[in-house]
Amino acid sequence: MSGALAWTLVGLGLSVIVVRRRSIAVALVTTQALVLVGLALHDATTGEDFVAAGALGARAVALAALFLLLVARTRESRPVRARVSPLLRAGVAVGFALTLTWLVPVIGLTSRDAERAVLALVAFGVATVATRRATLFQILGIVLVENALALSALELPGGASLAIELGVAFDLMLVALVAAVFHERIFAEFGAGDTAALRTLRD
Amino acid sequence: MTSRELLALAAVCVPALAAALVALAPRRLVTPLALAAAVPTAVPALALSVSILRAPDDPSVGDWLVVDAAGGLLVAVVAVVGLASVVASPAYLASSGASLVSAARREKTYFGALYAFWAVLLAVPLAGNLGAAWLLVEATTAASALLVGFSGKPRALEAGWKYLILTSLGLGVALLGIVLLAAGVPGGGLGALSWRALTTYSGDGALVAYLLLLAGLAAKIGWAPVHNWLPDAHSEAPPPVSALLSAALLPAVLLVAWRSEQSLAPVIGERTAQTVLIAFGLVSLAVAVPFLWRSLAWKRLLAYSSLEHMGVIALGIGFASPLALAGVAVHIAAHAVAKALGFYAATPLVVHEPRAAGHAVTGIARTRPALGATMGVSLGALSGLPPSPLFASEVLIVAGGFQAGRPWAAAATALLLALGFLGLAHNLLETTAGKARRREPQAPGLRTLTAIAGVSIVLLLALAAAAVWLPGTDVVDALVRGAV
Repeated sequence: MSGALAWTLVGLGLSVIVVRRRSIAVALVTTQALVLVGLALHDATTGEDFVAAGALGARAVALAALFLLLVARTRESRPVRARVSPLLRAGVAVGFALTLTWLVPVIGLTSRDAERAVLALVAFGVATVATRRATLFQILGIVLVENALALSALELPGGASLAIELGVAFDLMLVALVAAVFHERIFAEFGAGDTAALRTLRD
Repeated sequence: MTSRELLALAAVCVPALAAALVALAPRRLVTPLALAAAVPTAVPALALSVSILRAPDDPSVGDWLVVDAAGGLLVAVVAVVGLASVVASPAYLASSGASLVSAARREKTYFGALYAFWAVLLAVPLAGNLGAAWLLVEATTAASALLVGFSGKPRALEAGWKYLILTSLGLGVALLGIVLLAAGVPGGGLGALSWRALTTYSGDGALVAYLLLLAGLAAKIGWAPVHNWLPDAHSEAPPPVSALLSAALLPAVLLVAWRSEQSLAPVIGERTAQTVLIAFGLVSLAVAVPFLWRSLAWKRLLAYSSLEHMGVIALGIGFASPLALAGVAVHIAAHAVAKALGFYAATPLVVHEPRAAGHAVTGIARTRPALGATMGVSLGALSGLPPSPLFASEVLIVAGGFQAGRPWAAAATALLLALGFLGLAHNLLETTAGKARRREPQAPGLRTLTAIAGVSIVLLLALAAAAVWLPGTDVVDALVRGAV
């Protein structure tokens, strides 16, 4: 895996943390997944590899369709504002990514660039969930983490199990579908997909 | 295919088939069909459990399937709690009109998701490798999140959303740990993640992988400090679902953590692997105890009790001595019976005393003696009041800590358990015999609850006897050896 490709994936992930509009964030996450599909097809040598790449592509397209449908069905008069400014969000995410890269030793993937990209994308996913109030952005944070894990599966020496890769894609679709049901219901109940409204349960 | 493999297949496929049938059935047939399918679902699972617990020295271990003593115990627990939850569900559906979906699809969605959840829960303890176990645990999230938010009320939406996001994120972190492990096991592919193959890990990152895996699973088990979703989800889910979450889901995922510890102990060191579990256990106990002293809404109190008991089980598997593991076996089963009973009592309780949904209630036995007695049995057993089997299991676990050469951790456990007992005992007295308020006369589902309470009391007494008999048996030897 080239350094340029790793930086492209990381750049797309970091952009999700700072952009305001949900549709742009969906496009960024989908582009990232499609880059991973390109990488999977480039490295594919066996029938199993092509099936895994196909599943990754189907997952990317299906999630994009689901999220864009959600955006269309839950139009907001103005975007939900995050708790912290975009610059601070990016700073927190980069700091977390650097810490994770420092804490986690060599993973054992085929290139160090891939390992750093995986850890950075996991950090960006967690940072997105922690710093964005919009429900759709929180789902996208989870998809970011799953994209990172898809990258790690592609860069495993000897490859990952096809059954596990298909299972992960299926599970992510299920979770996204349930999250979509919740997003729509939260929007209907509170007039916005804003997790700030979900803070009544405390002890 | 062996008879055990056939039973394992049936145990998972029957509830999956029932989920599909319920989803396709005409509306008027949904509840009768769901009730009719409950016993056929539980029977193969219980038969499988009996077959392994009668011959614990002869586990079936493969790349996809493992049937061992710990798995057999968990399958039995999931089967019994699942059966009782299906039986308790019509009373909940009759007493609660609100739902996440339209009225026409309410029963179908509820029972379809409940059976799907039950099927995946039965599969988790039987997963023969870490990758498959992760997939199944993640699959439980989708079905159970839908059930947590089933009422569609704002508080349920909040609880369901938190549960979905936090556990999915946690499982993402766990998957990163699994990738690290897969990279370090010779051979690659699915076989590299089997419980036995993990013992051959040869990379540098075993400890980091183990910590990532356990931190991620902790978010699903509800171990402190990543337990934030647990009190909310348990308190807002329909009571039969809360019972499955607390009594079946948490220990089933805990079994995955236990198997991971047993597989990786030869690589990272037994003492280190166990210390991580003991740390999670002590932190969970310490966080739970102050809440057990507070006057909380009934289901919320039970939720914090789950945090306490998952901590106790973590301590038991962390101590890993024969006495401690005998205690763990009794604790998992007894906690499931007592906790599920407590949650089932919430259905008539909330109709009898509507404030109970969000506030502590007092003197229930004065206005509804049968309901108060059921709540008393549940809370008394959970607090560890003798002759509760949880008293015996906690004594075994603390003694097991000393046996394992962990006197400080064992002493801290005993102190925290004593404090937790006092808090719950206070709540027990207030809830059942405290000052009574004017209340609604109805308490729907009380007849079903009384029947479940009768069976639960018999089971609790049997488990108390089992706690005396179990140490030194082949079952405990098999638990110590594990599936690796």
